[in-house]
Parts: sequence; C-alpha cells; structure tokens
Amino acid sequence: MSVQLVFLLAFGLAAVWFGIVVFRTHSMVRSALALLFSQTAIGAMFLVMQTEFLGVLQIMMMATEMSIMAIFMVMFMMDPGGLGEMDMKHQRKLSLGAGILAFAGATALALLADWGPIATEIPDAGEQVRLLGFELLGRSMLIFESAGLTILTAMIAATAMAVQAANRPEPAAPDRGPDRGKQHGH
Amino acid sequence: MSTVILLLSLALGTYVVAVLEQWASTNRLRLAGPVISALRLLGQENILPRKSDRLFFEVGPVLLLIAALLSLAIIPLAPGLIATDLATGALFFNAALAYVLVAMIMAGWGPDGAYGMIGGWRFLGQLIAYAMLVVMPITTVAMRAESLSTIDIVASQEMLWNIAYQPLGFALFVFAGMAMAFVPPFDLPVATGELAGGVEAEYTGARRIVFRLGRMVLILSVSSAIVVFYLGGWLGPWLPAWAWSMIKILSVAALMLLGGRMLPRIREATLLAWCWKLGIPLALANIFLVGILVLVVPL
Repeated sequence: MSVQLVFLLAFGLAAVWFGIVVFRTHSMVRSALALLFSQTAIGAMFLVMQTEFLGVLQIMMMATEMSIMAIFMVMFMMDPGGLGEMDMKHQRKLSLGAGILAFAGATALALLADWGPIATEIPDAGEQVRLLGFELLGRSMLIFESAGLTILTAMIAATAMAVQAANRPEPAAPDRGPDRGKQHGH
Repeated sequence: MSTVILLLSLALGTYVVAVLEQWASTNRLRLAGPVISALRLLGQENILPRKSDRLFFEVGPVLLLIAALLSLAIIPLAPGLIATDLATGALFFNAALAYVLVAMIMAGWGPDGAYGMIGGWRFLGQLIAYAMLVVMPITTVAMRAESLSTIDIVASQEMLWNIAYQPLGFALFVFAGMAMAFVPPFDLPVATGELAGGVEAEYTGARRIVFRLGRMVLILSVSSAIVVFYLGGWLGPWLPAWAWSMIKILSVAALMLLGGRMLPRIREATLLAWCWKLGIPLALANIFLVGILVLVVPL
C-alpha cells in the first residue's frame, strides 16, 4: 500500500468522522464547524490525489461557506449553544433508510460504472489549471454560467426579502406590558 | 539551508512587526517591548472561563497561528528562497487565510463571553465585505502573469511593477488586506476601547501570547502578499534579492500599522456598504481594464 493511499484513507476516514460529529453534538456552531472540517478533509483528499487546484479551492470555499452557515444556524435556532440538550437527529427511521439507500446507490455506481481508461500520467499542477480553464469556458460553460446565475438570482431575492421585512408595518403587538411593543420598531 | 534562512527571517519579521505594532498603539518605540510583553503574559494566570466551549477556546488561537504560517509558505523572498512553490500559490494564500475567519469564530464563540462572541461574528461580517476585494485583484495579477505561482507573478513584474500597471487593484488589495489582518481602522473584531478586546478579551497568559503571535504573523503575511503581488517582490537594483524583499515587506507593514492608526475605526455597516457598492464594481472594472491592457500593452 503506497503512502498516497494511506493518506487518502486517513483523510477519507476523517471526513466521515467529522460528518458523524455533525450529528453527535448539540451545539449549532460545533455542528457547522464539524461539517466544515469534514469538507476540508475532502479537500485534502483532492490534494492527495494530486488535483491541486480543486483541493485548494475546496479548502478555501468551505471555510467561508460553513462559517456563514454557522451564523444563520445560530440566528434561527432556539438553542444555538446546545445547553438545552437539543437533538440534531430527527425522523430517524426515514433518514436512516434514505442514508443506507444513498450509500448503496453511490457504492453501486462507483463499482459498476464504466469510468473509461484510468489516467496513467497526471498532468502537472500548472497544466491542470490551464485544462480546467478551457473546460470551464468550453464544454461546461453553460452548466457553470446557469448555476452562477441561479445563485445570483437567489442572492438578490434573499436580499430583497430581507430589506422588505424591515419596511413591513409591524403587526399590532399583543399587550404584554408598557415597554414590550417598543422593542420591535428598529 | 534555505529552510533555516526562511525560519530566521520569519522570526525576525514577526518580531519587527510586533515592535511596530506596539509603536503604533503606544507611540513609544521600544525594541525590547515584545519580549517584555511576552514575559508579562507568561507570568499571568491562565484563566479558563466558566462554561466555555473548551475545544474551540483552545483551538482558536492555535488555528489562527497555523493559518497565518501556512499562508506564508508560498511567499518567495528571493528566487529559490520559498517554502513551497505551488502552481496554485496565489489561490493557496487565500485558502489558508480563509481559516483566520474560522479561528476567529472559534475563539470568539469558545469562551462564552459576550464581547468575544460579538467580535468573532463581526469578523464574519468583515469577511463578507473584504473577501471579494482580495480575490478579484489577485485574479488580475494572475491574469498578467498567466500563472498562479508566486514566483511567476514576481517574474512578470520585471519590466513594470503591478502597482504601476494596475494601481486600482493595488489600492483595493491594500484596503482588503488591512481588513483581512484586522489592523486599524478595521480592527472591528478586537476593537480595544469599544469591545474591551473583543475576541482577545477572554484570553490570558500563554493562550493570549499564541493569539497575538498569530496576529503578528498574519500582518507579516498580508504585507508579504502586497509586496509579491504588487511591489515587485524581490526585484530591485544594487541590493541582494532577499534584502529587497525584507525592506519592502517591513516598510509595507510599518505603513499599514502607522497609517491605519491615524484613521477613525470604521463601522461594520459602513465597511460593508463601501465594499459592495464601491469596491466590487471597481474591482470588476479593474479586471476588465487589466484584461484589455494585457492584450494591448503586454509589458
């Protein structure tokens, strides 16, 4: 077993382990950051497989994305610190079934699909960046551009909704004492 | 041999940045200042806040230091004097420094204190402001060099430094770099006097030393990136290459620290508004402009 394979396995196991940690903790921040480190481990797997650009990109993107997710989880959850023993696991039977089914499907696909000839020679990292550039501006351009446009639309829509919420007239607050109603008007 | 030189220059650079930082914040130039501060902090009690998230509390400062050190790995001080010449160096710099954010959130959330937590989340807002202004100017630098390798980027400035070739990108990158290293006036996550130290507030003793050290290395790293991407790296007449690198890096650090101190601390909302309404359009215009320049005047 080569050193490369050992590292690949180690990072793969780390990715799975951090994935499990996501559901073992009660704290939203811990959960989000566990997901982050799971994705970082996948980025490290890319690096082990000598796809430098994709690895570095994965490691970079996930840090910011998961942190932003963390703050949204903190804002929307009743118990972000997990001090009230909130449980991360819901609909256990359904999710267990879905998980096993997805795992079996992915494994079957990996084993049964015809992957074509396996590359024997890996182009050097600089060449990979060049090839990726041609791929993104060639055959895959439509996919990436439409994905980008979709995300942009979603961002604008989300911002518009957030702005509108601030301008919306407050519903008449139920009478809960003299000062309670005032806190909403900001 | 080159490893020893790199480590020595890292230690020296960090120390000088620490001296400069103290000079900027106290108005007194004391060469032994950082040593005295470190000894004082070592003698301090290591306080562990009650109900802290122990794992995040301990990992935060260490991760900050590691992220800053990793980002320095792709900075060349001279031809051949580089820790690792990655083909994706410019991207790697950004990837490593993305973990500064993760470290700040961990360190802010960990101790279960209001000041720390506000500081940590503030830095997230700050990242949303500056992140694009780091990536887009790096894109134009890579466009000119036709490579993401930092060695190639310096070599591409042989005829004309990028500060002259793409001054708009330089201005944006310095602005964003200062926000990334949270030096004044962008020191929102620590905000002495307003947040009582923010993320730093609950850290004492050895842990605080690690946090401070991480921040000094981060300032050094951002200054180095400015030099490599825009100020011609090691290029310069008469003096040897490494000397030029060091002079430029430390001058940039000094200018950032001493200049930033003159400005009032910016508000989070103002920073976001500037970056998104002015900064990003300018950065896009810069990409367009440099794209034309690279085609028409390929210096």
